[in-house]
Amino acid sequence: MIEERQLTLIMENKPGALVRVVGLFHQRGYNIESLHVEPINNFKPYKFIEDELNTKFSEGEISRLEIKTTVDDPLMRQILRQINKLIDVIAVSGNEGTYLKGVLRDENLL
Amino acid sequence: MKLAGNDILIQSLIEEGVEYIFGYPGGASLHIYDAIFNQKEMQHILVRHEQGATHAADGYARATGKPGVVMLTSGPGATNAITGIATAFMDSIPMIVISGQVQSHLIGTDAFQETDMIGVSRPIVKHSFTVDHQSNIAKIIKEAFYIATSGRQGPVVIDVPKDLTNPVDLFEYKYPSEVNIRSYNPPIEPEDSQIDRAIEAMINSKQPVIYAGGGTISSNASKELFELNSYINAPITNTLMGLGVYPASNKNFLGMLGMHGTYQANMAMHNADLIIAIGARFDDRITNTPEKFAPNAQIIHFDVDHSSVSKIIEADIAVFGQVKNSLQAINSKLKLRSSEINDSNLDAWRKQIEQWKEMHGLDHDLYKNNSDDGPILPQAVVQHIYHASNGDAFVTSDVGQHQMFAAQYYHFDEPRKWINSGGLGTMGFGLPAAMGVKLAYPDEEVICITGEGSIQMCIQELSTCTQYKLPIKIFNINNLALGMVKQWQDMNYDGRHSSISYEDSLPDFSKLVESYGHVGIKITKNSQLKAGIEEAMSIKDKLVFVDIYVDPNEHVYPMLVAPDGSLKDMWLGKGEKT
Repeated sequence: MIEERQLTLIMENKPGALVRVVGLFHQRGYNIESLHVEPINNFKPYKFIEDELNTKFSEGEISRLEIKTTVDDPLMRQILRQINKLIDVIAVSGNEGTYLKGVLRDENLL
Repeated sequence: MKLAGNDILIQSLIEEGVEYIFGYPGGASLHIYDAIFNQKEMQHILVRHEQGATHAADGYARATGKPGVVMLTSGPGATNAITGIATAFMDSIPMIVISGQVQSHLIGTDAFQETDMIGVSRPIVKHSFTVDHQSNIAKIIKEAFYIATSGRQGPVVIDVPKDLTNPVDLFEYKYPSEVNIRSYNPPIEPEDSQIDRAIEAMINSKQPVIYAGGGTISSNASKELFELNSYINAPITNTLMGLGVYPASNKNFLGMLGMHGTYQANMAMHNADLIIAIGARFDDRITNTPEKFAPNAQIIHFDVDHSSVSKIIEADIAVFGQVKNSLQAINSKLKLRSSEINDSNLDAWRKQIEQWKEMHGLDHDLYKNNSDDGPILPQAVVQHIYHASNGDAFVTSDVGQHQMFAAQYYHFDEPRKWINSGGLGTMGFGLPAAMGVKLAYPDEEVICITGEGSIQMCIQELSTCTQYKLPIKIFNINNLALGMVKQWQDMNYDGRHSSISYEDSLPDFSKLVESYGHVGIKITKNSQLKAGIEEAMSIKDKLVFVDIYVDPNEHVYPMLVAPDGSLKDMWLGKGEKT
């Protein structure tokens, strides 16, 4: 079913990281309805990622990105998987679940 | 140890085991080239155009499995390489591209020879880096090689501002022994449950087909693929990118599938009850109309890239992981269950495929007709090349009819021997790619099968072949026109031949190559063909360019009917359809 959906990304706050995500949407012909990005300062909700990656985030290192797009299920899955391939993306969540460290979890964790 | 940025860069490449750098110097890379001058471990190959550098590095990578390395200057040096980077990206070839950049303080000022290389190359790289400080160069190189060669492989660009390679400022250098990128972790081992489901499907299938592609070669999994099929003994087809991963001479091999695939391969795919896709991505040249693709088949898809699975064709069983590891996992279980496989289950299916092959299979004996002075068939040219090279040469090709004839009629028994631009379809690829292969394997026969259109797109590299003494054999299948475009115009545009002729402007290729110090042979008659090709093959110390005038009216068949066709809808000859 085609409807507006939100996907959420946690990514490295590196130069050019945002434009890789935005560029991917254009390159693959997906549409962006809205986009919000900000650096993460409160790491509490993301402790499960730190545990999973065996790492500690420090201030200014990672960003949270929210994108709204109007697509059907198979395309949403394809978008999630394409975004998951970007090297700077740590985790991406959508209706299909959450890709973390390249592995799909069944629930939307972000 | 303290080193300057340029030396850190070059030492890091040496640490990675780089043998050859393919490149072209310029203002922004002068410091780097000074460091290249001061070392002996790597050889720099000076090409004549940066596109040639990328294709040569690409050919080296495809033949060896090791990443190819390209060195560019900023601006036009960088943009000239874009076609070659895109070629490597589409075929998932590991490549490291280092581009010089204007000095940091000039970035964004439209400085001389400034281009935003990271921006220009972004959609066609697996990843890219901008060097921000000398002390990060070694780490960036380490990460770049890791990213380029792991998971689904691909090109990585490293953009280096000139001031960060200056020979004056020294920094502590130690090449990292390990690499860990927390946001990057490509799958390696498959999930057990998926392996079990795949085995069930294989055991129960009565009409299986293995469809193996370039990913199987990237993963160096041809032995594992062969072992898998020693258990299930299924008919197998390869994509254009996968040719050689399974021996073409094996009785189970159906030939290539897809747009110009064999009749039996396409029919087997269409009628299969199980398609075992291995390192292949259901490209539009394979599926024809996706909605009509293999209507009765269950799909097992082995791939390292999540986004390739169920992108075009929904997979019933998805096995994520390095293809090699996944096949090892399935083989070790299948071995124990081999008693459950009843080989005679496939007898009717094999008989059906044999009938298809007898009805409309390719004729591999065209080369036997050497007597008359009629037009030369391009298919026979490839057959002659195959026999004259004992079937074990490295063969590069360009793009068009000659590429398809080479894929159809040269039988590859080993992986990494067939080197062509499958995904992007880059004319001009063949000659520089052959240079990279020849440098990697100087004692092996390296053949470039090309056309008079493609060869002229990177013909400047004939000069590079002279400089580095690269005795490649180039077979120019000359039909005096852009043959594949002409074929489409014949079939879909009522024969209106728009802009496919050079009129009388083609050079005398023999004289042209002789001016570079190479050997030129011209063949215009069928009766000269066998002797001419054998003569070329007998010359070992020089590049030989064989210009072969073939029948300009030949088409490549079979050819899928499009649009709206399925895999069983094929043109089998002029005006002859299934």
